[in-house]
Amino acid sequence: MNFDFTPVFENYETLLTGAGYTILIAVLSGILSLVGGLAVALTTLYGNKAFSYPLRFFIWLFMGTPLLLQLYLLFFGLGQIGILIPAMLTGILGLGIHYMAYNADIFRATIESIEKGQNEAARSLGFGRMQTLWFFIVPQAVNRALPQLGNNMIIMLKDTSVLSVIGVAELVLNAQFEIANTFRPFEFYISVAVIYYILNLIMETSLNRFEKKLEGRR
Amino acid sequence: MDSNSKDDHANTGLMLDIINVKKAFGELKVLKGIDLQVQRGQIVSIIGSSGSGKSTLLRSINHLETIDDGEIWLDGVRVNQPGMKGLAFENHINSVRQNMGMVFQQFNLFPHLSTMDNVRLAPMKLKGIGKSEATEFCMELLEKVGLEAKADTYPSHLSGGQKQRVAIARALAMQPKVMLFDEATSALDPELVEEVNLVMKQLASEHMTMLIVTHEMNFASEVSDHVLFMDQGVVCEQGPPEQLFSNPKEERTREFLKKHLQQQ
Amino acid sequence: MDFALMWEITPLLLKAAWITVTISVLGFILGLLVATILVMMRASAFRLIRWPARIYVSVIRGTPFFVQLLIFYYGGSAFGINLDAYTAGVLALGLNIGAYMSEAIRGSLLAVDNGQNEASRSLGFSRTQTMISIILPQAAGLMIRSLGVLAVILIKGSSLVSIISVVELTYQSQRIISSTYKPFEVFAVSAGLYLILIYGVISFVDWLYNRYTRYLSH
Ligand SMILES: Nc1ncnc2c1ncn2[C@@H]1O[C@H](COP(=O)(O)OP(=O)(O)O)[C@@H](O)[C@H]1O
Ligand SMILES: [Mg+2]
Repeated sequence: MNFDFTPVFENYETLLTGAGYTILIAVLSGILSLVGGLAVALTTLYGNKAFSYPLRFFIWLFMGTPLLLQLYLLFFGLGQIGILIPAMLTGILGLGIHYMAYNADIFRATIESIEKGQNEAARSLGFGRMQTLWFFIVPQAVNRALPQLGNNMIIMLKDTSVLSVIGVAELVLNAQFEIANTFRPFEFYISVAVIYYILNLIMETSLNRFEKKLEGRR
Repeated sequence: MDSNSKDDHANTGLMLDIINVKKAFGELKVLKGIDLQVQRGQIVSIIGSSGSGKSTLLRSINHLETIDDGEIWLDGVRVNQPGMKGLAFENHINSVRQNMGMVFQQFNLFPHLSTMDNVRLAPMKLKGIGKSEATEFCMELLEKVGLEAKADTYPSHLSGGQKQRVAIARALAMQPKVMLFDEATSALDPELVEEVNLVMKQLASEHMTMLIVTHEMNFASEVSDHVLFMDQGVVCEQGPPEQLFSNPKEERTREFLKKHLQQQ
Repeated sequence: MDFALMWEITPLLLKAAWITVTISVLGFILGLLVATILVMMRASAFRLIRWPARIYVSVIRGTPFFVQLLIFYYGGSAFGINLDAYTAGVLALGLNIGAYMSEAIRGSLLAVDNGQNEASRSLGFSRTQTMISIILPQAAGLMIRSLGVLAVILIKGSSLVSIISVVELTYQSQRIISSTYKPFEVFAVSAGLYLILIYGVISFVDWLYNRYTRYLSH
């Protein structure tokens, strides 16, 4: 048994660059999954049947299959139909779409639960259907869904690591470049785990604070 | 004097002997040196305003709370054993508890068990009594509390008063030496209080040793041999009910009684 | 759609799906074992026993399963341990899901009103007797549900052991896609199998939960 972390320290910049991309991916996929998730939820609830049924199927399908399989579909599928985009973009799309399904499911449930009481109250005040939705139901639903959405985002941050499989140069893949040069898998993967642990901790504590703040305002 | 030996308490004839018991939750001193003696067959009631430490005292006797100082003796056996640790204490306290029946304000019936199973679980598992024998005498206990017809019913289908009567039968099934009641009727609707009080009065008439925390002054004066008034963690005044209720010596007792007798 | 191909690859994918099933079942059983130990450690009176369990759960939950798997498989050589892929996959899955299961089990146990514990102890039952006869039966409903959710996460997570070359469903799908260039056809069959597994587990858990709560509520 011998450990040698000097290769890790000598190549720490590669890891930091990777971590930077991991954060960037998480932010962009996160935005995509939240905005898209809300749009999908609203469409399945109020949209035209031509859209709402396929989107319901999408939620069901993407919650019932693994992320990695979906990434393969996107990676090879895009190439198959002649769309050539950088791996990074494929990765952001794949991760964002996967969590879009989960977030849509949460939005749907919270909107439905809020709609029951609020709809009649707001409509009776003379608000129109769309106004009621935008000014009353959606803000409350988002508010109530926040803890679960936050939880999904925490899981998503860790799932960015899977993108290395389709060649996205995030933290894990960058570590693997260096492992190929230094033959120190254990040391590099442990360091990668430590970085993820710190990122995860930062995300969890800031989400907790954010939720506390919101609760105070409620 | 060796206060851990059983002999010096075997001859006192006391069922419960509580000596200078102290208990604090962090900074908050809840029991500040309580002394209390209960004779065999005696019925002692504890009254006092909310937060005065009545529940903490009862829970300490059952070792649901660990006291900081003092001694608690049950029929010559020391309940709290400061020197005893780990499994030895666990075994000790389990056997001591089998001699005490505790009745909670919130009933705490086991919701996944039928009325009969609630009552016979402990004698079967702890005393190794066979099912048919246990069923037989537990049915007698249910008759005693007037619920033999509900033997196969589950707690969610019982009224509050019925639940509390089952809880009393459950505690009696271990044939305890003393029964501890912590505001047994406080969680009940007014019209259900009497049925529980009746059961407790019947136990009193059978000379069961009882320690009763209650906020019903009429019931306390009717059923008890001795009444304690607790205030801010000390026994402020005690005596026979006739004296304590009609002729209290302490100003604080008078104030408390004035408030509570008016309410009733 | 190339239906002939779909028909042709189904036996191969079925066989791979069976590996997904066995690896998930073994991972689940190992996870239960790990979780039981963790729950008991965290209930200990001694800080020196409680803390390692807390740290274990925190580290597992704070880092990606993907990285844990890489450490387990490639890092073992630093200790002179070389596990075959299947064993490494099962161990990594079980050790990971066990941490989450311990939280689920603890949560279900803590959700039982403390009055139940006190009533039982006041009758003279020991801690163990109280746990088995009083607390567990009341916690079991919630436990079934939360362990069911984790079982689904476990099945989806098992797709990641494909990257250490365990020939399970996702591995086989990826291989067939790269040899046939028919991502949509392969995905259709493979996703179908995952959906059967996952929604099968969800239905079974719902059934079990309903049965149990009906038994409890009489
Ligand atoms: N587990 C506990 N932790 C902290 N404080 C407690 C606890 N249990 C009781 N107390 C406090 O101890 C005091 C006495 O409580 P209790 O014995 O329940 O009074 P009573 O039964 O006379 O109303 C109260 O101020 C209560 O808030
Ligand atoms: Mg009280």
